[in-house]
Amino acid sequence: MTKPLIVLRGVSREFPTAAGTFTALADVDLTIDRGEFVVVVGQSGSGKSTLLALLAGIDRPTRGEVIVDDTAVHALSERQVSAWRGGAVGIVFQFFQLLPTLTACENVMLPMDFTGTWPVRERRERALALMGRLGVADQADKLPSTLSGGQQQRVAVARAMANAPSVLLADEPTGNLDSRNAESMLDLLAGLVQDGQTVVMATHDHGAQRFATRTIALADGRIVAPAALVHA
Amino acid sequence: MLSPRWRKVLRDLWLHKARTGLAISAICIGIIGAGAVLDAWSLLRRATREEFDASRPASAVIRTDSVDAALLARIRALPGIATAQSRHVVSARVRTPAGVQTALLIARDDFAANEIGVVKPGDGAWPPSQGHAVVEHSSVEFAGVAIGDSVELQIGDGPAAMSRVSGIARDVGLAPGWMEHVVYIFVSPADLARIGATSGMNEIQVAVADRSLGRTEIQAIARDVRALVERTGRRVSSVDVPIPGRHIHAGQIDSLLYTQGAFGLLALVLSGVLVVNLIAAMLTGQVREIGVMKAIGAGAGQIAAMYLGLAFSLGIVACAISIPLAAVFGRMYAEFTAGILNFDVSAYRIPVWAFALQLAVGALLPVVAALFPVVRGCRISVNDALRDFGISGRGETPRLIVGGRIFTRPVLLSLRNAFRRRARMALTLATLAIGGAVYLGALNLRGAVIGAVDLLFAPQQFDMVFRLAHPAPAESIAAVVTPMAGVSAAESWAGARAALATDGAPLGNSFTITAPPAGTRMLVPRILTGHWFTSAGNNELVVSNRVVDDDSAFALGRTVALVIDGRSATWTIVGVADGGPMPVTYASREALARVTGSTGATTIVVATGVAGQAAELALVRRVRSELADRGFDVSSSQLMAEQRAVIQDHLLMVAGFLGNMSLLMIVVGGLGLASTMSLAVLERTREIGVLRAIGARHRTILGMIQVEGLVIAILSWLIAIPLSLPMSIALGNAFGRVMLEVPVHLLPDGPGVLRWFTVVVLLSVVACAWPAWRAMRITTSSALAA
Repeated sequence: MTKPLIVLRGVSREFPTAAGTFTALADVDLTIDRGEFVVVVGQSGSGKSTLLALLAGIDRPTRGEVIVDDTAVHALSERQVSAWRGGAVGIVFQFFQLLPTLTACENVMLPMDFTGTWPVRERRERALALMGRLGVADQADKLPSTLSGGQQQRVAVARAMANAPSVLLADEPTGNLDSRNAESMLDLLAGLVQDGQTVVMATHDHGAQRFATRTIALADGRIVAPAALVHA
Repeated sequence: MLSPRWRKVLRDLWLHKARTGLAISAICIGIIGAGAVLDAWSLLRRATREEFDASRPASAVIRTDSVDAALLARIRALPGIATAQSRHVVSARVRTPAGVQTALLIARDDFAANEIGVVKPGDGAWPPSQGHAVVEHSSVEFAGVAIGDSVELQIGDGPAAMSRVSGIARDVGLAPGWMEHVVYIFVSPADLARIGATSGMNEIQVAVADRSLGRTEIQAIARDVRALVERTGRRVSSVDVPIPGRHIHAGQIDSLLYTQGAFGLLALVLSGVLVVNLIAAMLTGQVREIGVMKAIGAGAGQIAAMYLGLAFSLGIVACAISIPLAAVFGRMYAEFTAGILNFDVSAYRIPVWAFALQLAVGALLPVVAALFPVVRGCRISVNDALRDFGISGRGETPRLIVGGRIFTRPVLLSLRNAFRRRARMALTLATLAIGGAVYLGALNLRGAVIGAVDLLFAPQQFDMVFRLAHPAPAESIAAVVTPMAGVSAAESWAGARAALATDGAPLGNSFTITAPPAGTRMLVPRILTGHWFTSAGNNELVVSNRVVDDDSAFALGRTVALVIDGRSATWTIVGVADGGPMPVTYASREALARVTGSTGATTIVVATGVAGQAAELALVRRVRSELADRGFDVSSSQLMAEQRAVIQDHLLMVAGFLGNMSLLMIVVGGLGLASTMSLAVLERTREIGVLRAIGARHRTILGMIQVEGLVIAILSWLIAIPLSLPMSIALGNAFGRVMLEVPVHLLPDGPGVLRWFTVVVLLSVVACAWPAWRAMRITTSSALAA
């Protein structure tokens, strides 16, 4: 049996608020294997984004352990976690979040620039290759503001893939796309999974489940559909 | 090739052109202000030191009745003396195409063999040959002469002789002629003899062997020289020992440049506030981008390096623009100042270290200024950054404003907005308030200078003064002038040069004694302690408070031994008068006559009953003509109003230089306010969109921004008023070191305070115009999508 890529043990995340403590995630146990396409579904406030933030090391659990590719993310310092995140995790946001003053290609090159994982001379070539794989190579030298939503999201995925991360985390990647582009985006992510990429995606879109290898349903910070059922 | 992150830095700079321009302009102003003064100072320091040293200035000057080669040889043999030489210096009149002026004629047996006080040849011939005169550079413009002009020279009633101006030369050891109102002319000994001067030399210049000696040691050597001269039966009239290696005005120029440099530096530091604002604005607008960059692998250090690099590039651009401009202004200022000092800086280059220092400060100051906002901005967590919604409601608003019912809602919102970013508001307030304090301080200084001039002229109860070419019987000249039409009263005054002596040897440099008649009605200084002359029978001195401050030997009741015209006598200090900043010494004409043996007067002061400059000038012409007809030769005449204007203008010019620094501050303050307000608009784009969505019109948005700017401007005005007091004292002290001590007003100038209010309000309106225009262009849809 292969070792799981992601392991969450007894993970809780609580936020102090004026009205008392708000529990975003409560005692979550979860394992995700390499090559899985896990779709996390749930209502707004169910804890989907919090779960992804914990996996990315953007947020820290109040209790419990988050282990990604043998790294205890919850135990890393702020400096260590940012260095780790650059190489191990690729993130795709709902609003694309491309840097407006950089061209599409430069946006894809930026993670390589920060982490230094690829030689300087190879970075543009690799960025163009990734963009070609996602069908936006011809948009390489354009600024994000001149691209359509679908194109921007493809560039964002290429950027997330830039450092060949162990896991691709996508938070509502289709939330800002029309149905045709959303379908295309899901198809694209599924294609990446087929090539061996692990993808964890949070979404409201129940239609996304048909592309997934597993669906996790969250309600009030708890997993309500057992992962084993989907596995089976 | 630049990496993507540095491309982002450059494009962000370009994207925010207006704010980038503001920050660069502010840094440029700071660098130009401080850099120009630094460049001028470095040029002047080098030129004055090197040229002054190259002139091999005299260590001491001994004035006597005659000098010959044998005496010089004996002086050179004295211990500590490197060399000695003689020259003939005589006061005369010169008639130039521009009129008649007082002249100081300087002759030497062999100018070419000059070893002390070396004269630097300029245009035309050097040295002066028989029948030719060489005019000293600092006198040329004042005398209105040019090479080729003919001038008439005359000593007293002696024979006049024409000389042709054949050259211009520079003697950096002389106090500038235009300042002293004297035309320095180098002539041959034969020409001096031609106009009746006594033959031979009358001044000994000595240079000590050890150039590192201090003034006290040189004074001791000068005493030996004096003793030697007197042993040969000659009379020594004065011994002057200047501060070694230092030009007479070097201290003043240093003080002026240090003060201006300090303000330039202050402007540079305040320009850092704009950099803080720009970087803070950029960080505020890019919080999400920072979050995204962190999410894709950027460390806080990498992001900080990007924004600090951006600040560094602002400094480099500002340096590229401003350092050459600072060099141009610095050279102009150095040339102007060198002109005052009678030096020439044209042969000197601004040293490389001055440029390097400006580059280092200009490039690093923005980095240092940006450090705090960058470190704070880069510490934001990815989570917080991605959730950013712009400015929060942080920062308490003063109760008065919260609970106010006298303001409309938009105005109330503006007032609250002004207090939302306390730290930024404090920086902007500080910039504007310091600018205001310097402005008000400069106005106070101006008032204080005029007050000092008032004090200087208050004791002088006369309107015009005539100086005679040679002493004349006091009573007879007064008798000529007093009955003339338009003359209310006239007095004849005497005067002499004196030196303080201890054990019979002059120690101090010589000073002037003014000697009105004992019962004078035309000189009424305010007596601080003691009394005015009680009788003409005793050797009584009245000195000004400045004299006592400078030398306690002149304290009330003390007796001092003075050498006047080679004769030593004891005098008693009977009174201390308020002379303002000037050292002044008075004796009665009668007492002075007893000591010197001369009953002649050299000055006639006249009070008139005429009004207006034209009438006064007509009276001057009549008095001169009448005196000439009676055989009294008038060498110069002056209206006191004119003299006052010349002195006042001269002093105000220096005060103006200090005041000019306030302009730098005002510009930097205005730029600071503009950047703060543009930042406020940027941060509240969404809020403005909401206001628009609920019905706010153009004028409401415009009014809100302008009112917010006005709140900051008026607060800065209130802070500037008390702050102007220490600033006035600082400027007054600086002026005191440069020119003369002035009584600084301890209350801000009322009209000046109102004028600054107007300036600061206008500044606010102009500074807020662009941010307000930007705010008006924000549409509801774009604001809410931001």
